[in-house]
Amino acid sequence: MISEFISYPFIQRALLASVMVGILCPFVGNFVVLRRMSFYSDAISHSAFAGIAAGALLGIDLSLSSIIVAVFIAVVIAFLSEKTGLSHDTVIGIAFSGAIAAGMLVMGMLKGYRTDMFTFLFGDILAITERDILMIFFVGMLTIIILLTFLKPFLQITFNRDLARVEGISVRFFEYLLFLIIAVVVTVSLKIIGMILVTSLLIVPAASAKNLASSMKRLFVYSCIFGVVSGVLGLAMSIYLDTSSGPTIVLVSIGIFFLTMIKRE
Amino acid sequence: MIALQVDNLCVKADNRHLIENITFSVEEGRIIAIIGPNGAGKTTLIKAVLGLIPYETGTVSLFGQPFKNNHSDIKVGYVPQRLEFDRTIPLTVSELLGFTLPPLYSVPFLKKKGAREHIDGLLNIVGAQALARRSIGSLSGGELQRVMIAKAIVNDPKVLFLDEPASGVDIEGQERFHDLVKRLNREKGLTVILISHDLNVVYRYADNVLCMNRKLICKGRPEETLTDEVIKSMYGEMMGAYTHSCHEHD
Repeated sequence: MISEFISYPFIQRALLASVMVGILCPFVGNFVVLRRMSFYSDAISHSAFAGIAAGALLGIDLSLSSIIVAVFIAVVIAFLSEKTGLSHDTVIGIAFSGAIAAGMLVMGMLKGYRTDMFTFLFGDILAITERDILMIFFVGMLTIIILLTFLKPFLQITFNRDLARVEGISVRFFEYLLFLIIAVVVTVSLKIIGMILVTSLLIVPAASAKNLASSMKRLFVYSCIFGVVSGVLGLAMSIYLDTSSGPTIVLVSIGIFFLTMIKRE
Repeated sequence: MIALQVDNLCVKADNRHLIENITFSVEEGRIIAIIGPNGAGKTTLIKAVLGLIPYETGTVSLFGQPFKNNHSDIKVGYVPQRLEFDRTIPLTVSELLGFTLPPLYSVPFLKKKGAREHIDGLLNIVGAQALARRSIGSLSGGELQRVMIAKAIVNDPKVLFLDEPASGVDIEGQERFHDLVKRLNREKGLTVILISHDLNVVYRYADNVLCMNRKLICKGRPEETLTDEVIKSMYGEMMGAYTHSCHEHD
Protein backbone atom coordinates (compact mmCIF):
# COMPACT_ATOMS: atom_id res chain seq x y z
CA MET A 1 0.00 0.00 0.00
CA ILE A 2 2.82 2.40 0.95
CA SER A 3 4.76 1.68 -2.26
CA GLU A 4 1.60 2.21 -4.28
CA PHE A 5 1.06 5.62 -2.66
CA ILE A 6 4.68 6.62 -3.11
CA SER A 7 4.45 5.87 -6.83
CA TYR A 8 1.99 8.76 -7.29
CA PRO A 9 3.83 11.92 -8.39
CA PHE A 10 1.66 14.18 -6.20
CA ILE A 11 2.59 12.09 -3.13
CA GLN A 12 6.28 12.28 -4.09
CA ARG A 13 6.01 16.05 -4.39
CA ALA A 14 4.17 16.23 -1.05
CA LEU A 15 6.87 14.13 0.65
CA LEU A 16 9.64 16.24 -0.81
CA ALA A 17 7.87 19.44 0.24
CA SER A 18 7.29 18.17 3.78
CA VAL A 19 11.00 17.27 4.14
CA MET A 20 12.15 20.64 2.80
CA VAL A 21 9.70 22.68 4.88
CA GLY A 22 10.39 20.35 7.83
CA ILE A 23 14.03 21.49 7.73
CA LEU A 24 13.53 25.10 6.69
CA CYS A 25 10.76 26.17 9.10
CA PRO A 26 12.36 24.82 12.32
CA PHE A 27 15.79 26.13 11.28
CA VAL A 28 14.36 29.66 11.10
CA GLY A 29 11.93 28.86 13.93
CA ASN A 30 14.82 28.48 16.38
CA PHE A 31 15.36 32.24 16.13
CA VAL A 32 11.62 32.86 16.46
CA VAL A 33 11.56 30.85 19.70
CA LEU A 34 14.84 32.16 21.14
CA ARG A 35 13.96 35.77 20.27
CA ARG A 36 10.33 35.36 21.44
CA MET A 37 8.97 36.43 18.07
CA SER A 38 6.03 34.00 17.84
CA PHE A 39 3.48 36.80 17.59
CA TYR A 40 5.53 38.40 14.81
CA SER A 41 5.59 35.21 12.72
CA ASP A 42 1.86 34.76 13.30
CA ALA A 43 1.23 38.35 12.22
CA ILE A 44 3.32 37.89 9.05
CA SER A 45 1.48 34.73 8.05
CA HIS A 46 -1.89 36.45 8.51
CA SER A 47 -0.64 39.58 6.73
CA ALA A 48 0.05 37.44 3.66
CA PHE A 49 -3.74 37.29 3.36
CA ALA A 50 -3.72 40.88 2.07
CA GLY A 51 -1.11 39.88 -0.53
CA ILE A 52 -3.17 36.89 -1.66
CA ALA A 53 -6.30 39.05 -1.99
CA ALA A 54 -4.35 41.75 -3.87
CA GLY A 55 -2.82 39.11 -6.17
CA ALA A 56 -6.25 37.71 -6.94
CA LEU A 57 -7.61 41.19 -7.70
CA LEU A 58 -4.68 42.18 -9.93
CA GLY A 59 -4.44 38.79 -11.58
CA ILE A 60 -0.83 38.13 -10.57
CA ASP A 61 0.75 35.03 -9.02
CA LEU A 62 -0.61 34.61 -5.48
CA SER A 63 2.70 33.28 -4.07
CA LEU A 64 4.53 36.29 -5.42
CA SER A 65 1.95 38.81 -4.21
CA SER A 66 1.86 37.22 -0.73
CA ILE A 67 5.68 37.41 -0.46
CA ILE A 68 5.72 41.07 -1.57
CA VAL A 69 3.06 42.09 0.98
CA ALA A 70 4.59 39.98 3.81
CA VAL A 71 8.02 41.54 3.20
CA PHE A 72 6.43 45.01 3.11
CA ILE A 73 4.64 44.37 6.43
CA ALA A 74 7.91 43.02 7.91
CA VAL A 75 9.71 46.24 6.96
CA VAL A 76 6.83 48.36 8.34
CA ILE A 77 6.97 46.47 11.67
CA ALA A 78 10.76 46.83 11.91
CA PHE A 79 10.61 50.52 10.98
CA LEU A 80 7.78 51.40 13.39
CA SER A 81 9.40 49.45 16.24
CA GLU A 82 12.57 51.44 15.75
CA LYS A 83 11.02 54.87 15.24
CA THR A 84 7.99 55.03 17.54
CA GLY A 85 9.33 53.65 20.81
CA LEU A 86 6.12 51.61 21.11
CA SER A 87 6.43 48.05 22.33
CA HIS A 88 7.06 45.42 19.69
CA ASP A 89 3.75 43.62 20.20
CA THR A 90 1.79 46.90 19.89
CA VAL A 91 3.47 47.69 16.56
CA ILE A 92 2.88 44.13 15.34
CA GLY A 93 -0.79 44.41 16.39
CA ILE A 94 -1.20 47.64 14.38
CA ALA A 95 0.49 46.31 11.21
CA PHE A 96 -1.22 42.94 11.51
CA SER A 97 -4.77 44.28 11.88
CA GLY A 98 -4.13 46.83 9.12
CA ALA A 99 -3.05 44.08 6.72
CA ILE A 100 -6.01 41.84 7.61
CA ALA A 101 -8.45 44.76 7.18
CA ALA A 102 -6.91 45.64 3.80
CA GLY A 103 -7.11 41.98 2.74
CA MET A 104 -10.79 41.76 3.70
CA LEU A 105 -11.52 44.99 1.85
CA VAL A 106 -9.82 43.74 -1.32
CA MET A 107 -11.48 40.33 -0.99
CA GLY A 108 -14.87 42.06 -1.00
CA MET A 109 -14.03 43.54 -4.40
CA LEU A 110 -13.40 40.11 -5.94
CA LYS A 111 -16.06 38.48 -8.05
CA GLY A 112 -16.82 34.76 -7.87
CA TYR A 113 -15.42 31.95 -5.74
CA ARG A 114 -11.61 31.54 -5.70
CA THR A 115 -10.56 28.02 -4.64
CA ASP A 116 -6.84 28.87 -5.03
CA MET A 117 -7.17 31.43 -2.24
CA PHE A 118 -8.37 28.72 0.11
CA THR A 119 -5.23 26.68 -0.63
CA PHE A 120 -3.26 29.51 1.00
CA LEU A 121 -5.69 29.84 3.89
CA PHE A 122 -5.75 26.20 4.94
CA GLY A 123 -2.84 24.69 2.97
CA ASP A 124 -2.92 21.65 0.71
CA ILE A 125 0.33 19.74 0.52
CA LEU A 126 -1.16 17.30 -2.01
CA ALA A 127 -1.79 20.18 -4.43
CA ILE A 128 1.88 21.19 -4.50
CA THR A 129 3.23 21.68 -8.02
CA GLU A 130 6.76 21.21 -9.36
CA ARG A 131 7.05 24.98 -9.55
CA ASP A 132 6.19 25.23 -5.82
CA ILE A 133 8.84 22.60 -5.03
CA LEU A 134 11.46 24.56 -6.95
CA MET A 135 10.48 27.77 -5.19
CA ILE A 136 10.71 26.17 -1.72
CA PHE A 137 14.06 24.61 -2.69
CA PHE A 138 15.66 27.84 -3.87
CA VAL A 139 14.24 30.00 -1.07
CA GLY A 140 15.22 27.32 1.44
CA MET A 141 18.79 27.00 0.15
CA LEU A 142 19.26 30.76 0.05
CA THR A 143 17.81 31.17 3.57
CA ILE A 144 19.99 28.44 5.07
CA ILE A 145 23.13 29.76 3.33
CA ILE A 146 22.42 33.29 4.66
CA LEU A 147 21.64 32.04 8.16
CA LEU A 148 24.73 29.82 8.33
CA THR A 149 26.98 32.59 7.02
CA PHE A 150 25.63 35.09 9.54
CA LEU A 151 24.90 32.61 12.33
CA LYS A 152 27.54 34.06 14.64
CA PRO A 153 26.15 37.64 14.56
CA PHE A 154 22.55 36.36 14.70
CA LEU A 155 23.32 34.28 17.79
CA GLN A 156 25.35 37.03 19.43
CA ILE A 157 22.39 39.42 19.01
CA THR A 158 20.07 36.72 20.35
CA PHE A 159 22.28 36.35 23.42
CA ASN A 160 22.68 40.06 24.18
CA ARG A 161 22.23 43.02 21.84
CA ASP A 162 24.59 45.38 23.68
CA LEU A 163 27.46 42.88 23.70
CA ALA A 164 26.87 42.25 19.99
CA ARG A 165 27.07 46.00 19.31
CA VAL A 166 30.34 46.28 21.23
CA GLU A 167 31.69 43.45 19.03
CA GLY A 168 31.04 45.76 16.06
CA ILE A 169 27.96 43.89 14.78
CA SER A 170 25.36 46.02 12.99
CA VAL A 171 22.39 44.95 15.12
CA ARG A 172 19.96 47.05 13.04
CA PHE A 173 20.98 45.37 9.76
CA PHE A 174 20.66 41.86 11.17
CA GLU A 175 17.31 42.65 12.83
CA TYR A 176 15.90 43.73 9.45
CA LEU A 177 17.46 40.72 7.74
CA LEU A 178 15.90 38.29 10.24
CA PHE A 179 12.49 39.97 9.87
CA LEU A 180 12.73 39.55 6.09
CA ILE A 181 13.88 35.94 6.29
CA ILE A 182 10.97 35.01 8.57
CA ALA A 183 8.53 36.80 6.25
CA VAL A 184 9.81 34.95 3.16
CA VAL A 185 9.94 31.52 4.85
CA VAL A 186 6.43 31.93 6.25
CA THR A 187 4.97 32.88 2.87
CA VAL A 188 6.65 30.09 0.87
CA SER A 189 5.33 27.57 3.40
CA LEU A 190 1.75 28.85 3.20
CA LYS A 191 0.64 26.49 0.41
CA ILE A 192 1.75 23.48 2.42
CA ILE A 193 0.45 24.16 5.87
CA GLY A 194 -1.85 27.15 5.40
CA MET A 195 -1.91 30.65 6.76
CA ILE A 196 -3.63 29.70 10.00
CA LEU A 197 -1.20 26.94 10.99
CA VAL A 198 2.12 27.87 9.38
CA THR A 199 3.49 29.48 12.55
CA SER A 200 3.17 26.17 14.37
CA LEU A 201 5.71 24.54 12.03
CA LEU A 202 8.11 27.35 12.86
CA ILE A 203 7.60 27.25 16.61
CA VAL A 204 6.64 23.73 17.73
CA PRO A 205 9.67 21.71 16.47
CA ALA A 206 12.01 24.45 17.75
CA ALA A 207 10.24 24.46 21.14
CA SER A 208 10.45 20.65 21.30
CA ALA A 209 14.17 20.81 20.51
CA LYS A 210 14.68 23.46 23.20
CA ASN A 211 13.15 21.06 25.72
CA LEU A 212 15.95 18.56 25.04
CA ALA A 213 18.96 20.45 23.70
CA SER A 214 21.88 21.27 25.95
CA SER A 215 23.77 23.17 23.26
CA MET A 216 23.02 25.39 20.27
CA LYS A 217 24.33 22.77 17.85
CA ARG A 218 21.89 20.20 19.23
CA LEU A 219 19.04 22.71 19.13
CA PHE A 220 19.45 23.12 15.36
CA VAL A 221 19.89 19.39 14.72
CA TYR A 222 16.95 18.29 16.92
CA SER A 223 14.56 20.95 15.61
CA CYS A 224 15.19 19.93 11.99
CA ILE A 225 14.74 16.23 12.86
CA PHE A 226 11.45 16.99 14.64
CA GLY A 227 10.33 19.15 11.70
CA VAL A 228 11.00 16.42 9.13
CA VAL A 229 9.42 13.69 11.31
CA SER A 230 6.33 15.88 11.85
CA GLY A 231 6.05 16.59 8.12
CA VAL A 232 6.55 13.04 6.85
CA LEU A 233 4.65 11.26 9.63
CA GLY A 234 1.84 13.83 9.51
CA LEU A 235 1.54 13.42 5.75
CA ALA A 236 1.51 9.61 6.00
CA MET A 237 -1.10 9.72 8.76
CA SER A 238 -3.28 12.16 6.84
CA ILE A 239 -3.26 9.80 3.82
CA TYR A 240 -3.93 6.74 5.97
CA LEU A 241 -6.64 8.37 8.10
CA ASP A 242 -8.02 10.47 5.23
CA THR A 243 -7.64 13.70 7.20
CA SER A 244 -6.45 17.17 6.18
CA SER A 245 -2.68 17.15 5.82
CA GLY A 246 -1.86 20.57 7.41
CA PRO A 247 -3.67 20.01 10.74
CA THR A 248 -2.39 16.40 10.92
CA ILE A 249 1.23 17.58 10.50
CA VAL A 250 0.72 20.21 13.21
CA LEU A 251 -0.89 17.72 15.62
CA VAL A 252 1.99 15.26 15.12
CA SER A 253 4.49 18.04 15.90
CA ILE A 254 2.52 18.94 19.04
CA GLY A 255 2.55 15.24 20.02
CA ILE A 256 6.36 15.30 19.71
CA PHE A 257 6.41 18.45 21.83
CA PHE A 258 4.55 16.71 24.66
CA LEU A 259 6.88 13.71 24.42
CA THR A 260 9.88 16.00 24.80
CA MET A 261 8.17 17.60 27.81
CA ILE A 262 8.00 14.16 29.48
CA LYS A 263 11.65 13.52 28.66
CA ARG A 264 12.55 16.95 30.05
CA GLU A 265 10.73 16.23 33.32
CA MET B 1 50.09 56.93 24.88
CA ILE B 2 46.51 58.00 25.56
CA ALA B 3 44.25 54.96 25.18
CA LEU B 4 40.90 56.69 25.71
CA GLN B 5 40.13 60.36 25.32
CA VAL B 6 36.65 61.68 26.16
CA ASP B 7 35.90 65.36 25.56
CA ASN B 8 32.84 67.33 26.70
CA LEU B 9 30.52 64.36 26.59
CA CYS B 10 26.86 65.22 27.22
CA VAL B 11 23.96 62.78 27.26
CA LYS B 12 20.41 64.07 27.48
CA ALA B 13 17.09 62.32 27.98
CA ASP B 14 13.74 64.13 28.16
CA ASN B 15 15.54 67.49 28.07
CA ARG B 16 17.50 66.57 31.18
CA HIS B 17 21.24 66.03 31.35
CA LEU B 18 22.16 62.52 32.40
CA ILE B 19 25.82 63.44 32.12
CA GLU B 20 27.23 66.86 31.39
CA ASN B 21 30.56 67.95 29.90
CA ILE B 22 32.56 64.95 31.00
CA THR B 23 36.20 65.22 29.94
CA PHE B 24 38.91 62.75 30.88
CA SER B 25 41.66 60.63 29.40
CA VAL B 26 43.13 57.26 30.28
CA GLU B 27 46.72 56.29 29.59
CA GLU B 28 47.46 52.96 27.96
CA GLY B 29 47.85 50.06 30.38
CA ARG B 30 46.22 51.86 33.31
CA ILE B 31 43.22 50.93 35.42
CA ILE B 32 40.83 53.80 35.98
CA ALA B 33 37.92 53.47 38.39
CA ILE B 34 34.76 55.50 37.94
CA ILE B 35 32.88 56.12 41.16
CA GLY B 36 29.80 58.07 42.13
CA PRO B 37 26.46 57.64 43.92
CA ASN B 38 23.49 55.81 42.38
CA GLY B 39 22.10 57.77 39.45
CA ALA B 40 25.37 59.66 38.96
CA GLY B 41 25.52 58.59 35.31
CA LYS B 42 28.40 56.09 35.51
CA THR B 43 26.70 53.43 33.38
CA THR B 44 25.39 56.14 31.03
CA LEU B 45 28.97 57.36 30.58
CA ILE B 46 30.31 53.92 29.69
CA LYS B 47 27.36 53.17 27.39
CA ALA B 48 27.79 56.51 25.62
CA VAL B 49 31.53 55.93 25.20
CA LEU B 50 30.79 52.48 23.76
CA GLY B 51 28.16 53.89 21.39
CA LEU B 52 25.32 51.93 23.00
CA ILE B 53 23.37 55.12 23.65
CA PRO B 54 23.58 58.33 21.60
CA TYR B 55 25.25 61.40 23.02
CA GLU B 56 24.22 65.00 22.45
CA THR B 57 27.67 66.53 22.16
CA GLY B 58 31.27 65.55 22.69
CA THR B 59 33.87 63.25 21.17
CA VAL B 60 35.35 59.89 22.03
CA SER B 61 38.62 58.62 20.64
CA LEU B 62 40.57 55.41 21.17
CA PHE B 63 44.33 55.55 20.61
CA GLY B 64 43.87 58.78 18.70
CA GLN B 65 41.14 57.44 16.39
CA PRO B 66 37.53 58.64 16.59
CA PHE B 67 35.39 55.93 18.16
CA LYS B 68 31.72 56.05 17.26
CA ASN B 69 29.24 53.15 17.03
CA ASN B 70 32.13 50.70 17.41
CA HIS B 71 33.26 51.26 13.84
CA SER B 72 36.92 51.09 14.68
CA ASP B 73 39.82 48.75 14.08
CA ILE B 74 40.62 48.91 17.78
CA LYS B 75 38.85 46.18 19.66
CA VAL B 76 37.26 46.78 23.03
CA GLY B 77 35.79 44.38 25.57
CA TYR B 78 32.74 45.03 27.73
CA VAL B 79 31.24 43.33 30.77
CA PRO B 80 27.89 44.93 31.64
CA GLN B 81 26.48 45.50 35.10
CA ARG B 82 23.55 43.11 34.80
CA LEU B 83 23.79 40.80 31.85
CA GLU B 84 20.31 40.34 30.45
CA PHE B 85 19.85 37.10 28.56
CA ASP B 86 17.43 34.21 28.36
CA ARG B 87 18.66 31.77 31.02
CA THR B 88 16.89 28.90 29.25
CA ILE B 89 18.92 29.37 26.05
CA PRO B 90 20.66 26.09 25.14
CA LEU B 91 24.11 27.57 24.76
CA THR B 92 27.32 26.19 26.22
CA VAL B 93 30.17 28.34 27.47
CA SER B 94 32.50 27.15 24.68
CA GLU B 95 29.82 27.85 22.05
CA LEU B 96 29.37 31.39 23.37
CA LEU B 97 33.10 32.03 23.16
CA GLY B 98 33.24 30.33 19.74
CA PHE B 99 30.58 32.70 18.35
CA THR B 100 32.74 35.64 19.39
CA LEU B 101 35.89 34.24 17.77
CA PRO B 102 36.88 35.78 14.44
CA PRO B 103 36.13 35.57 11.57
CA LEU B 104 32.63 36.84 12.31
CA TYR B 105 31.11 35.67 9.05
CA SER B 106 31.92 32.00 9.13
CA VAL B 107 29.91 28.86 9.81
CA PRO B 108 30.10 27.97 13.49
CA PHE B 109 29.91 24.38 14.84
CA LEU B 110 32.66 23.31 12.42
CA LYS B 111 35.82 22.18 14.16
CA LYS B 112 38.45 24.71 13.25
CA LYS B 113 42.13 24.22 13.89
CA GLY B 114 43.25 26.25 16.85
CA ALA B 115 39.78 27.44 17.88
CA ARG B 116 39.35 24.78 20.57
CA GLU B 117 42.81 25.52 21.97
CA HIS B 118 42.14 29.26 21.93
CA ILE B 119 38.88 28.83 23.87
CA ASP B 120 40.50 26.45 26.36
CA GLY B 121 43.35 28.93 26.80
CA LEU B 122 40.92 31.78 27.52
CA LEU B 123 38.98 29.70 30.02
CA ASN B 124 42.24 28.73 31.65
CA ILE B 125 43.23 32.41 32.02
CA VAL B 126 39.98 33.21 33.84
CA GLY B 127 40.03 29.98 35.87
CA ALA B 128 36.91 28.58 34.20
CA GLN B 129 38.28 25.61 32.27
CA ALA B 130 35.83 23.25 34.00
CA LEU B 131 32.89 25.29 32.68
CA ALA B 132 33.48 24.75 28.93
CA ARG B 133 30.59 22.33 28.43
CA ARG B 134 28.26 23.90 30.98
CA SER B 135 25.10 25.68 29.85
CA ILE B 136 25.50 29.45 30.18
CA GLY B 137 22.18 29.69 32.06
CA SER B 138 23.33 27.26 34.77
CA LEU B 139 26.34 29.31 35.89
CA SER B 140 26.51 31.06 39.25
CA GLY B 141 27.08 34.83 39.39
CA GLY B 142 30.84 34.47 39.92
CA GLU B 143 31.22 31.82 37.21
CA LEU B 144 29.23 33.91 34.74
CA GLN B 145 31.41 36.96 35.40
CA ARG B 146 34.58 34.99 34.73
CA VAL B 147 33.10 33.63 31.51
CA MET B 148 32.04 37.14 30.50
CA ILE B 149 35.61 38.34 31.06
CA ALA B 150 36.80 35.49 28.82
CA LYS B 151 34.24 36.59 26.20
CA ALA B 152 35.35 40.21 26.54
CA ILE B 153 39.00 39.30 25.83
CA VAL B 154 38.37 36.78 23.02
CA ASN B 155 39.31 39.27 20.31
CA ASP B 156 42.36 40.55 22.14
CA PRO B 157 40.94 43.98 22.99
CA LYS B 158 43.07 46.98 23.86
CA VAL B 159 40.56 48.44 26.31
CA LEU B 160 38.26 46.65 28.73
CA PHE B 161 35.10 48.32 30.08
CA LEU B 162 33.74 46.78 33.27
CA ASP B 163 30.47 48.11 34.67
CA GLU B 164 30.26 46.97 38.31
CA PRO B 165 31.21 43.53 37.10
CA ALA B 166 31.31 41.89 40.52
CA SER B 167 27.96 43.15 41.82
CA GLY B 168 25.87 40.27 43.13
CA VAL B 169 28.95 38.08 43.61
CA ASP B 170 30.11 36.98 47.08
CA ILE B 171 33.14 38.65 48.72
CA GLU B 172 35.56 35.85 47.79
CA GLY B 173 34.27 35.85 44.20
CA GLN B 174 34.68 39.64 44.01
CA GLU B 175 38.27 39.42 45.16
CA ARG B 176 39.09 36.66 42.67
CA PHE B 177 37.46 38.70 39.93
CA HIS B 178 39.37 41.88 40.67
CA ASP B 179 42.64 39.94 41.00
CA LEU B 180 41.97 38.48 37.56
CA VAL B 181 41.38 41.95 36.10
CA LYS B 182 44.62 43.20 37.65
CA ARG B 183 46.50 40.17 36.25
CA LEU B 184 45.11 40.81 32.74
CA ASN B 185 46.08 44.45 33.06
CA ARG B 186 49.65 43.49 33.96
CA GLU B 187 50.17 40.55 31.62
CA LYS B 188 48.34 41.77 28.53
CA GLY B 189 48.83 45.48 29.06
CA LEU B 190 45.05 45.96 28.97
CA THR B 191 43.66 49.39 29.71
CA VAL B 192 40.75 48.93 32.12
CA ILE B 193 37.85 51.30 32.76
CA LEU B 194 36.08 50.00 35.84
CA ILE B 195 32.89 51.23 37.51
CA SER B 196 32.79 50.32 41.16
CA HIS B 197 30.84 51.25 44.27
CA ASP B 198 33.49 49.72 46.46
CA LEU B 199 36.12 52.25 47.58
CA ASN B 200 38.24 49.36 48.83
CA VAL B 201 38.46 48.04 45.24
CA VAL B 202 39.34 51.52 43.99
CA TYR B 203 42.22 51.89 46.45
CA ARG B 204 43.57 48.40 45.82
CA TYR B 205 43.31 48.07 42.08
CA ALA B 206 42.92 51.45 40.37
CA ASP B 207 45.80 53.65 39.19
CA ASN B 208 43.43 56.58 38.85
CA VAL B 209 39.94 57.43 39.93
CA LEU B 210 37.26 59.56 38.32
CA CYS B 211 34.51 60.80 40.64
CA MET B 212 31.27 61.95 39.08
CA ASN B 213 27.75 62.98 39.87
CA ARG B 214 26.37 63.82 36.44
CA LYS B 215 29.37 66.17 36.17
CA LEU B 216 32.98 65.37 36.79
CA ILE B 217 33.83 66.06 40.43
CA CYS B 218 37.42 64.97 40.63
CA LYS B 219 40.10 62.85 38.97
CA GLY B 220 43.55 61.68 39.95
CA ARG B 221 45.28 59.05 42.05
CA PRO B 222 42.85 57.51 44.58
CA GLU B 223 44.90 58.26 47.69
CA GLU B 224 45.29 61.90 46.65
CA THR B 225 41.84 62.46 45.17
CA LEU B 226 39.45 60.66 47.50
CA THR B 227 39.50 63.09 50.37
CA ASP B 228 36.88 63.14 53.11
CA GLU B 229 35.42 66.26 51.56
CA VAL B 230 35.07 64.72 48.09
CA ILE B 231 33.50 61.52 49.39
CA LYS B 232 31.04 63.38 51.62
CA SER B 233 30.06 65.62 48.73
CA MET B 234 29.23 62.53 46.68
CA TYR B 235 27.81 60.10 49.20
CA GLY B 236 26.72 62.27 52.13
CA GLU B 237 27.94 62.96 55.64
CA MET B 238 27.84 59.31 56.79
CA MET B 239 30.69 58.36 54.47
CA GLY B 240 34.39 59.12 54.84
CA ALA B 241 37.66 58.19 53.20
CA TYR B 242 39.98 55.54 54.47
CA THR B 243 43.15 54.15 53.03
CA HIS B 244 43.46 50.42 52.67
CA SER B 245 46.63 49.04 54.17
CA CYS B 246 47.45 46.46 51.46
CA HIS B 247 47.62 47.93 48.00
CA GLU B 248 47.98 45.05 45.64
CA HIS B 249 47.51 41.36 45.47
CA ASP B 250 50.03 39.24 43.70
